[in-house]
Amino acid sequence: MLTLGIDIGSTTAKCAVLEDGREFRALTLRDSGVGTDGPQAAFEDALTELGMSRGDIDCVCATGYGRAMWKDADLRASELTCHCLGGVFVFPGLRTLIDVGGQDAKVISIDVGGNMAEFVMNDKCAAGTGRFLDVMAALLHRTVDSFAEAAARSKSPASISNTCTVFAESEVISQLAAGAAVEDVIAGICRSVATRVGSLARRLDVKAPVCMSGGVAKNAAVRAALSEYLHVPVLYDERAQLFGAMGAAIYAAGRRSKE
Amino acid sequence: MELREILEAFRAADPAKMKERYLAEGKKIVLTAPVYTPEEIVHSMGLVPMGVWGADTLLERSKRYFPAFICSIAQSIVELGMRGTYDGASAIVIPSLCDSLKVLGQNWKYAVPSIPFVPMTYPQNRANEAGRAFAKAGYLRVIRDLEAATGAKFSTDALANSLKVYNEHNAVMRRFAREAGKYAAVSAYDRSAVFKSAFFMLKEEHTALVKELLAALEGTEPASGPSVVTTGILADSPALLGKLDELGLRIAADDVAAESRQYRTDAPETGDPLDALAAKFAAMGDCSVLLDPSKHRAAMLVDTVRGTGASGLLLLLTKFCDPEEFDLVIIKKACAEAGIPFLSVELDRQMVNFGQAETMLEAFCERLD
Repeated sequence: MLTLGIDIGSTTAKCAVLEDGREFRALTLRDSGVGTDGPQAAFEDALTELGMSRGDIDCVCATGYGRAMWKDADLRASELTCHCLGGVFVFPGLRTLIDVGGQDAKVISIDVGGNMAEFVMNDKCAAGTGRFLDVMAALLHRTVDSFAEAAARSKSPASISNTCTVFAESEVISQLAAGAAVEDVIAGICRSVATRVGSLARRLDVKAPVCMSGGVAKNAAVRAALSEYLHVPVLYDERAQLFGAMGAAIYAAGRRSKE
Repeated sequence: MELREILEAFRAADPAKMKERYLAEGKKIVLTAPVYTPEEIVHSMGLVPMGVWGADTLLERSKRYFPAFICSIAQSIVELGMRGTYDGASAIVIPSLCDSLKVLGQNWKYAVPSIPFVPMTYPQNRANEAGRAFAKAGYLRVIRDLEAATGAKFSTDALANSLKVYNEHNAVMRRFAREAGKYAAVSAYDRSAVFKSAFFMLKEEHTALVKELLAALEGTEPASGPSVVTTGILADSPALLGKLDELGLRIAADDVAAESRQYRTDAPETGDPLDALAAKFAAMGDCSVLLDPSKHRAAMLVDTVRGTGASGLLLLLTKFCDPEEFDLVIIKKACAEAGIPFLSVELDRQMVNFGQAETMLEAFCERLD
């Protein structure tokens, strides 16, 4: 049985194809999300990689912000459920998952059986999300991908507000005007995201093992700052950005096997 | 009437049309603001009480009178007042049960001077002799102000009769709240429409219509699927109700201020009617705007979830509602200790995008599944 999960996020689209609920056969990602051709491209990439067509897939489950837009879905599931399933698949025994995507952040508390016990989502605000990093990267004429390496060179991270992206933008300009090193400002930006997400996580009882998922998880500086803030190691897997799509494929497999 | 027609009658109880109808009949309308107003007094004076709980609308004019981070129910009441939506009403009774309502009353005087403001000041410590005397003094002020604003006259005999009318309505609404979740025909939207229409219809008419509905429901298809108990100040957002219906999530019972909290407590039908009304207020409880140092509301909610066999508790948190935010922590803890799935969803009268709330509800359902 082949099941396909498609995660249509605000800035990216991801696909995962799972065989018999056990082994992933294809994982694809496109850097464009809701309202673009990214989801279709990610979907076609996955089928092309396997040399298959839609008819070979037993069940398609859509998740993510744009899940309702994917007309070809057999099932739909919330990204909270899917990230939880994807995280537990990669890290068996996982108790807390912190997902930071392009425009929101979620923290999921997982019980000993691997089920979602509780969750919180961020307020409708860009602070503590991938959007915050995008805005800062544009301001500094850098790429977000370069942030981790720059932050690692910081000797004294700058203090950047974690409450508002707009205010933080002017703070960054003030820090630079005052002569702060760019790497210190970048380290401050990463800490700002980590503090914002960490305080969201603390609304729940954060239990180890903890992992990060979503696009921001790729940033080692944010992960390190989050680990420091929460006083727990934060696990990371290269597929972190694909946990939602993987979870959707797992959800579909679970549903099909119940039928 | 057929069941569908009865449900449609509740949906069709549009407040603007109801207001025009009552005015055309030569009746005078008195607006009653959240959370509890002595509607019985208004009714007994031959006036038509119409509840005002604001509306899902863009706030523009009212921003002149309010800070940004304050309850949007209070703000939207002033917004509608300034727009002229309530024109034709003879007065508005605004109680002092929370800080936002106190601000609402004070702002109303300047923002909508054409509709006289009648304050109803309640005691914090209500369940003792001094509290009851304080509440009664508040009622006497309301009577005095309403007589001045409307020319209508108060009599204790008429109030005694109105207490009976309201007690009968309370009983039928309590029965509806118990029964609604058992039938497939009553969607979350329909359930809300029955409660909401009670604020716009005279209680005698509403009681009769709800009785007709309950009779029509007997023997119809039973509801199935998971259910929740709802709690909070308001639960009338069409987007939210539509999502609950889409997810097949039934409302087994509620502790919503604009719904069942209105109808839990009857006034005694013996003795002085104003004393009876004060006794009713003294007996009320399990509400975030009524002082309760023991916070019994949390235990009540746990018992309600267990008693109805609901799968979880859904707290619909009105944004910037301090009293509900204080209770949220206690309720969440009580649910965790009782092993009851709990979800809090923040709602606002100005919300246009429900994507996040819908995702949370979907995830909550998947968790129940």
